[in-house]
Amino acid sequence: MDRNEVERRVVKVVCRVLGVEPEMVTPESNFVFDLGAESMQSVELVAAFENEFGIEMDENAALEVQNVGAAVDFIAAHLK
Amino acid sequence: MNVSVAEPSAEKAGLHHPLEALFSPRSVAVIGVTPTPGTVPYDIFYNILSSGYRGTVYPVAPGKRSICAVRAYRYVLDIDEPVDLAVIVFPANVVDKALEQCGQKGVRAAVVISAGFREVGPQGAEREKRIKEICSHYGISLIGPNCLGVINTDPKVRLNASFARNMPLCGRIAFLSQSGALCTAVLDYARHKQVGFSKFVSFGNKAGVTEIELFDYLYHDSLTDIILLYLEELRDGRGLIEAARRVTGGPQPKPILAIKSGRTPQGADAAASHTGSLAGEDSICDAVFREAGIIRVSSIEEMFNAAVLYAYQPLPEGNRLAIVTNAGGPGVMATDAAIRCGLSVPRLVPETMEKMRGALPAAANLKNPVDVIGDARADRYLAALEAVAADPNIDQILVILTPQSMTDIEAIARGICKFRQNLKKPICCSFMGAVDVESGIQLLQQAQIPHYILPEWACEAMAHVEQIRQWRLQPRGEFQPLPVDKETARRIIDAASAGYLDEDQALAVLQAYGLNVPPNKLCRNADEAVDFAKSVGFPVVLRIVSPQIFHKTEVGGIALNLADETEVRIAFSEMWERIGKVAPQAEVRGILVRPMIPSGYELIIGAKRDPAFGPTLMFGLGGIYVELFGDVTFALAPIDAVAAGRMVRQVKAFRLLEGARGRPPVDVQGIEECLVRVGQLVADFERIAELDINPLIAGAGPNGNVPADARIRLA
Repeated sequence: MDRNEVERRVVKVVCRVLGVEPEMVTPESNFVFDLGAESMQSVELVAAFENEFGIEMDENAALEVQNVGAAVDFIAAHLK
Repeated sequence: MNVSVAEPSAEKAGLHHPLEALFSPRSVAVIGVTPTPGTVPYDIFYNILSSGYRGTVYPVAPGKRSICAVRAYRYVLDIDEPVDLAVIVFPANVVDKALEQCGQKGVRAAVVISAGFREVGPQGAEREKRIKEICSHYGISLIGPNCLGVINTDPKVRLNASFARNMPLCGRIAFLSQSGALCTAVLDYARHKQVGFSKFVSFGNKAGVTEIELFDYLYHDSLTDIILLYLEELRDGRGLIEAARRVTGGPQPKPILAIKSGRTPQGADAAASHTGSLAGEDSICDAVFREAGIIRVSSIEEMFNAAVLYAYQPLPEGNRLAIVTNAGGPGVMATDAAIRCGLSVPRLVPETMEKMRGALPAAANLKNPVDVIGDARADRYLAALEAVAADPNIDQILVILTPQSMTDIEAIARGICKFRQNLKKPICCSFMGAVDVESGIQLLQQAQIPHYILPEWACEAMAHVEQIRQWRLQPRGEFQPLPVDKETARRIIDAASAGYLDEDQALAVLQAYGLNVPPNKLCRNADEAVDFAKSVGFPVVLRIVSPQIFHKTEVGGIALNLADETEVRIAFSEMWERIGKVAPQAEVRGILVRPMIPSGYELIIGAKRDPAFGPTLMFGLGGIYVELFGDVTFALAPIDAVAAGRMVRQVKAFRLLEGARGRPPVDVQGIEECLVRVGQLVADFERIAELDINPLIAGAGPNGNVPADARIRLA
């Protein structure tokens, strides 16, 4: 899966879980500060990424990821 | 929800304190609000809405259209109107981003509720440093992080920017707390007691605004009469004391009651001297708080008991108490407690007793404590109260009631409330019990008549108010440097490396600062010692001087009362030889020879550079009694003569110095001067880490105060 595809699907998941519009989401968007993720939503996001990409991530490491671009990198690394 | 912008009350009065934006903001942004009830971010926003805030509130909640039906903003920068105060409830790792935007927006004050800073370790400390820098860069007054929030009950503001469940009643007491959790307990307790607050602040990690700035604000706040402080950590003790002095001793003084909890472990090196071992932060705190007019209490109960009495009743003109009771036992207990606390329970004048005689039964006790007898109803209480209130020997009144089958509790309470309306003297009550007396207590509290379950608590509260009164009567001095030979002291100190000065050097420093140091000489051989002894006169003392020998007595390094040349010669040679054997590694610089000092009271003057308070001074009973009795007191250095006078009188040994059991009094004024001089010395030289003059021999007559041993440790 190329990086653009990962990014497209990450944005889709973020919009669905956090209830934000796609135009609000940029690679720099911080999940909490820019997109308003609450603590439970951050956990939901991790689960939703796992479902979307059929991968398993270390939850603590995943929760350290703060913005959309970093999430794309994190997931892309898991897919390799 | 766009409520019209209120004019903050203090601004109307022309006050423009930097903390005005914190307490009386025209608009508040709550940054990081979530729509989930029961979470801190939601509750804070909801509390601002529901407390009837008179300004405008903006929720900042990225990705949310609205919170509680109020339009939400993605960023604080998206708000069109100016924002005075930001309340930040985001997780710790994005608080810096929020504050950065606040700075760009021109927000003047911020309350960071979020935890996850210094209290969680190095990573949190780094975050805290970062937010501190941002606030200082943009000039934002920062409360927190890791706090409960801020409440202002002023009807013109009504701001509850906290996650405390209920807005407290409006009152004249300000409460400042480092602990957030304690705040919620205090608010609940105060509600039960019907006690109101003017301002309520939880300042958490105090990364920005500390109790010092808050003292300054509250001193100028016309709605605050008394300040209560709960403090866990003293960072700038000296700043705190100086700010407190301005509050308690200013033209419109306000009392401060404080709980200081948490004891700092002392550095191991600090315990090397007497002063080091006695001058723990806690004991210094006690003394310097007292000198700043801060009343240190040990519990929330004790704090509120006194605060309510001060806030709701006039200040008494003296400490003379009348007790009116329907029960003999509690009357006697209250009398004991009053006297133990430093109040007096004086005799009533004959006219007072005469007035009561007609209204009370023959069995009543007309002397103070007045016993109106167990079957007393409201009429008897009121007759006694009218009489004692008019007594010229009485400054304040305590009413005790025990619920007996015929006691009309509510009628008595109502009577007291009415009686109080024209009373110029303070009154408080103790309706003893719980269930039967409850309705009466409610009536008293509603009428702002302080009530205490136990009469002993009432006495303790009255004693604290008496402390406030005494503090205001106390003369104030101002430190005036005395003429000293600072240059000589500087030469000695600058030439020495870190560690203890040799005794002759330490004595020379004290001499340069005007202490009555006996003539002394460091001698290298017996001939030199004999010559010097002859020149100053016998008897003399020999004292070994070596940087490696700290406890001279243990190695036989002291010889006393040497009456002639032969004794000096023998003692000198023996000491030199002995030291060579017992302490072969010690570098012996010589043996100090000085005259034997006539006996007198052995006192101690010490000084220490405290991490929180800076240079502090200690005084007390010295010699071998120092640690045994711990009869010492402390003050911040430098010290003025008036404060030195108080210091000397604070120790129990003062009665000896005045001349006990037929012994002549010592030169107390001379001791005070020694304290002023030593205070000046430690304030002048930052390198002095510790100083012990132990003993200072206090004898009769002028110049009777002689340092017999001195240690100075340099940093």
